[in-house]
Amino acid sequence: GVAPLGAVPLQKEHQQQFQLMEAAYYHMPHPSDTERIRTYLPRNPCNTPSYYIQAPLFNSDTPEFYQRLGTETLFFVFYYMEGTKAQYLAAKALKKQSWRFHTKYMMWFQRHEEPKIINEEYEQGTYIYFDYEKWGQRKKEGFTFEYKYLEDRDLN
Amino acid sequence: DRAPMGPTVHIHNGILQVRAPNYEDPPGLVEKTDFLLREWINIYNSQHQGRDSTKAFSIFVHQMNVHGILKTDDLITRFFRLSTQLCVETVYRALLDKSNANMTLIRPKCYHTLDAFVRLVSLLVKHSGDANNTTTKIHLLNKVLGIVAGCLLQDHDTRTVDFQQMPYQRIFTMLFLELNAPEPILEAINLHVLTAYCHTFHILRPSKAAGFCYAWLELISHRVFIGRMLATTPQQKCWSLYAQLLVDLFRYLAPFLRNAELAKPVTMLYKGTLRVLLVLLHDFPEFLCDYYYGFCDVIPPNCIQMRNLILSAFPRTMRLPDPFIPNLKVDMLPEISYAPRINTNISLTISPAQFKKDLDSYLKARAPVTFLSELRSNLQISNEPGVRYNISLMNALVLYVGTQAIAYIRNKGLTPSMSTIAHSAHMDIFQNLTVDLDTEGRYLFFNAMANQLRYPNSHTHYFSCTFLYLFAEANTEVIQEQITRNPTYKFWQHQFVHCAPEIEKLFESVARSCFVKTS
Repeated sequence: GVAPLGAVPLQKEHQQQFQLMEAAYYHMPHPSDTERIRTYLPRNPCNTPSYYIQAPLFNSDTPEFYQRLGTETLFFVFYYMEGTKAQYLAAKALKKQSWRFHTKYMMWFQRHEEPKIINEEYEQGTYIYFDYEKWGQRKKEGFTFEYKYLEDRDLN
Repeated sequence: DRAPMGPTVHIHNGILQVRAPNYEDPPGLVEKTDFLLREWINIYNSQHQGRDSTKAFSIFVHQMNVHGILKTDDLITRFFRLSTQLCVETVYRALLDKSNANMTLIRPKCYHTLDAFVRLVSLLVKHSGDANNTTTKIHLLNKVLGIVAGCLLQDHDTRTVDFQQMPYQRIFTMLFLELNAPEPILEAINLHVLTAYCHTFHILRPSKAAGFCYAWLELISHRVFIGRMLATTPQQKCWSLYAQLLVDLFRYLAPFLRNAELAKPVTMLYKGTLRVLLVLLHDFPEFLCDYYYGFCDVIPPNCIQMRNLILSAFPRTMRLPDPFIPNLKVDMLPEISYAPRINTNISLTISPAQFKKDLDSYLKARAPVTFLSELRSNLQISNEPGVRYNISLMNALVLYVGTQAIAYIRNKGLTPSMSTIAHSAHMDIFQNLTVDLDTEGRYLFFNAMANQLRYPNSHTHYFSCTFLYLFAEANTEVIQEQITRNPTYKFWQHQFVHCAPEIEKLFESVARSCFVKTS
């Protein structure tokens, strides 16, 4: 840097300020300090070699990007990144792939075939669902999906 | 400092509550608060709560009532103070516990406590008074912000180098996010929330709490905060408040930056400041345009990069002409007849009042000549090299005389040009400053003029003519050299220049054009 006006020694007040700032420098704010708690994937910053990508891919926070992700990835994002934009985008992508969320079982269901019964209150048939405890897709025959448990908010 | 009145009265009351030398709490209140707070933290963190803990909250309010906390304003305030202190202590205990080596586990623990407290505050603010009673809610919020600020200052002053920013930063951020949720009750008080936060941040500015400066910068540059302050609030109602916070930041940095020897802690804060400025330049150029004067007034003249970020801002609706078009007729640009907006009262900055009076009468009568000969002594404040001049007065004088000159020329039915700016009281002053000042003074004077060279507007045009005129009329080569050394031309050496290909191209062509001239 240049100091065309010449250096001027710091006044006592500024020296004191510098001391306090220097102390604060050694306990800087952490990225997680200003974020909602991440229960499952807390931030854990560490130095990674520069030849690994350092920033997420361009446009990776768009609905189009989420639609290209695998179903299992979407389920992972949905269950492990609660309350984030990522979760919202994952839910949106799952809905687009005809998955429906069951608010009582807290699991995603997809029709395996046309339901045997459809009426005002429910539909019944064979469904594929994602079991987040066993972490895999399962099939359920003769399942009754009551519409009162259907999560049908418009995600737009 | 602002006297504790007006909108900030409740913040100041909150601070006073904490900072009063001997506040004695009624017997048992500490224990009651401790008990209630623990209870709330448990409820908040236990499963199966309503999404925003509303149900648990009404039960909890009942409990607070039973314990008499809500009986008086004074008791409520004390409850908040004690709660803040208890939360902060919990955080200190966790952070200092050396047996707990894994920091990724400690922080969430702290967050559990702090977030619970924040939710309690936001619910109390939201539900205080009737749904439509905004006054009660705002008073309570101001009071709480004042209490947290008071606790921070107290903690900062007593622990000095052991002070931790984290608990306060988290309380401020999380409470801000909660209060900006999309709910009608909160939307009705949003402007007040923003105002309260700005006042609080101003009170906690780095020169008052240097140990909080990094968290403070993060707070004022938080994306939601900037968005609310500069974008979402209609009629730019929060712009001046936000400008004040940036001025606080620049003022704090100034003594460290002017010596150009940047220690690591300063470099860190400086880099953060540049990033904020880049964001503002990209997203809110009109904001930087409107407040450039106040910013450049407090940024040391040697901070070229910082000032260039501010001075290169121009309104997004404007299309800048390519400055390298041969025979570009600047005089023909329609924009140069419009004055830029300036949100600083410059004539108030010109003091003492007698000097302002003499200045105005000289501009009117072009006499007496003694005004010119005394000009230098009016600007000079010491004989110490490096701090000889009152820079703010110099800046104000230059801009004031310039705007008066433009008005004077217009009144005659003319427009500023190389010939119309000459031979006037205004040019007398500028020529006198050019000749009569020493190197330091002239440097500051030219800087004050260069600060007006921005996007096409009447000031840019007038001052560029004035620069060229002074250059042509200069009687010594020293003056010409000093004009050419103008820092604006060192632009391309800096990193931000390379941030966008168009900008880089622009500077490459500046470099090329300079090369052509010298070879």
